[in-house]
Amino acid sequence: MTNTKLIVSHAPFWHSGDSLFQQNLNFLIALVPAALFGIFKFGAPALGVLTLATSSAMLWEVIMAIISKQKIAIADMESAVIGLLFGMMVPATMPWWVVITGTFVAVVLGKYVFGGIGGNPFHPTLVGIAILMMSWPAFLDFDTAYVSYQFDFTALAPLAALKSQGTSVLSSFSTYDLLMGNEVGGIGSTFGLGIIIGGIYLILRGYTRWEIVVAFIAGILITATLFYVLHPDTYAPPLFHLFSGYTLLGAFFLAVENSSSPVHRIPMLVYGFLGGFMIILVRNIGIYPDGTILSILLINLINPLIDVIKPKALGKGVSHA
Amino acid sequence: MREMLSMIVVLTVLTAVSGGLLAAVEQTTRPQIEEQVLKFQKEPAIKEIFPDATNNPIQERADVTADGTTLQVFPAVLSNGKKAVAFEAKGTGFGGPVGLMVGINIDTDEIIAVRVTTHSETPGIGSRAKEDLSFVSQFAGKSMSANFSLKKGGGDIDAMSGATVTSGGVSQAAIAAQALYKKLKPEIVKQIAN
Amino acid sequence: MAQSLVKEFTKGLWAEIPPFRLVLGLCPTLAVTKTVENGIGMGVATTFVLVFSNILISMLRNIIPSKVRIACYIVIIATFVTIVEFMMQAYTYELFLKLGIFIPLIVVNCIVLGRAEAFAGKNTVIPSAADGLGMGIGFTMSLAALGAVRELIGAGTLTVWGGSPIFEIGHGYIPFQFMVEAPGAFIGLGLMLCLMNLIGQK
Repeated sequence: MTNTKLIVSHAPFWHSGDSLFQQNLNFLIALVPAALFGIFKFGAPALGVLTLATSSAMLWEVIMAIISKQKIAIADMESAVIGLLFGMMVPATMPWWVVITGTFVAVVLGKYVFGGIGGNPFHPTLVGIAILMMSWPAFLDFDTAYVSYQFDFTALAPLAALKSQGTSVLSSFSTYDLLMGNEVGGIGSTFGLGIIIGGIYLILRGYTRWEIVVAFIAGILITATLFYVLHPDTYAPPLFHLFSGYTLLGAFFLAVENSSSPVHRIPMLVYGFLGGFMIILVRNIGIYPDGTILSILLINLINPLIDVIKPKALGKGVSHA
Repeated sequence: MREMLSMIVVLTVLTAVSGGLLAAVEQTTRPQIEEQVLKFQKEPAIKEIFPDATNNPIQERADVTADGTTLQVFPAVLSNGKKAVAFEAKGTGFGGPVGLMVGINIDTDEIIAVRVTTHSETPGIGSRAKEDLSFVSQFAGKSMSANFSLKKGGGDIDAMSGATVTSGGVSQAAIAAQALYKKLKPEIVKQIAN
Repeated sequence: MAQSLVKEFTKGLWAEIPPFRLVLGLCPTLAVTKTVENGIGMGVATTFVLVFSNILISMLRNIIPSKVRIACYIVIIATFVTIVEFMMQAYTYELFLKLGIFIPLIVVNCIVLGRAEAFAGKNTVIPSAADGLGMGIGFTMSLAALGAVRELIGAGTLTVWGGSPIFEIGHGYIPFQFMVEAPGAFIGLGLMLCLMNLIGQK
């Protein structure tokens, strides 16, 4: 053994044993309660949209991998998570071609043009939803989407109703109803309890970081409370904001996406808090009914900036005061 | 020294030739451009200012002159029999001259409406003066003796947010219209009486 | 001679097609390509300026002192741009209204100055004219192509000249409005660049 070479490589030096596949599988498991509830509530069309969104997202991934001559990596289930999240954010009555266009935008423009897994600066699903909202807002309007359905609760999208009619509509939405999914909305975004259970599962398994989730929810509650305390007549109470629209899905599943969120603790707290803060600003002052998508895209954008707040490397602590 | 001289000579000759050429092109295309501006800018503006005109202000347009100032005016008869007149005045905006068509009720000296016509303002910022009517509608109903400066300058006009220079150009044009109207009113009345 | 002329002409059509290969002149490419008509109008105006400024600059290339050449080029280019502006105002006023501020901005379009500096200032008249014409046609084609993609997807129509569409996708088509908005221009351009590179690789 005369030519033994010492190989020097970059950190990390240990591996938790997890793979992308396991992480994404756990994401899918965590999404199951909310998705099942959506299928149960909105019926077969919801199942159709969810399966179409998931399968078309995987198909776009295969096509893009072939075109860009990369290894076909659908087995890691990354695109399945993107597709399933996309399906869970849209109404059950969305036409098939809108779903396919949306997953195309999400997977191709949201993920592949940035170089595939780990390269995306934004959450791919949000890119898809945001571009659909600019193009076909009518198909994402939850009030008109469910006109043919019979519900035993107020069939008004809570946030849109709040925007157009003011706080007088708040009496028709109890916090319990919002938490138990008795509201109209995206297929998988209405069942608050299911989302919370799935999100906590992910945190306990260590796939998402509690710092972002807690800071995000704190941002919403603190900002909304400030507005509510100052003008209880014009602004909705904090719990209404927390349990309506995409808020919970955003907090537990969208803001925490790996490649578009910070890696250090203080940046994570700042990142999450700003996200919650922006949501309430958009809802209370801006023109959009639900600011979740906009605000998460914005914090994705500032992620590289705030991630430079990091602990000092050991052994380099020379200060020139 | 030779090089210096050649630089000066070449640049001077080049700019002089270019200036002459442009003047010639401008001369030959001017009547055509005026016709186009009349058709695509002034006519729609006048139709919006006098939606209920019973005559055709475009066809009855005439030039009035006083003290060496010539102005093209568009006389209109409104549906209630009132007489009105429209003419264009210019101010300087962000990207060049801003044309403002002003419609005035002859009897009361009140503005009926104003519209921005030709301009070269930044799309989406200054161009809102033309597209978004909430700015120009401030002028409607004001007397021709009101103060058309921006509020910042002590006048009555709210500037468009983010487009103060364009707003200033429009306000300048309105003030120019005031001066023109004051000077030419007797002639305009005479013209309409014919 | 004839062969090299053809080469100067055709390089602008594919090998050095301005917005996609040289990635020059992106301001009008992004701003005016909402419809094919706008793209063609802008392209024709730029072609006119390119050809004539190239011809004049190559004619004067031995007279213009090198220290003030950029100033001279700009004067020449600005003259032709203003002529184009007058002409458009006089004869195609509706198109002038749509292109608006972007016509005077041809003066600062990198393609025009770029060709003057890189080609016309060093070559004789006829190759310069061929270069300008080729570049201009390439630019027009690119703008028309991007305009076609954006208009077809974003509005469901194709308008080549005169304001009324020559082709319309049926009534069932709900336009993907995103493509005619400003971010759609960036994404459309990006996808076309990507496609060009993909084809170029083979």
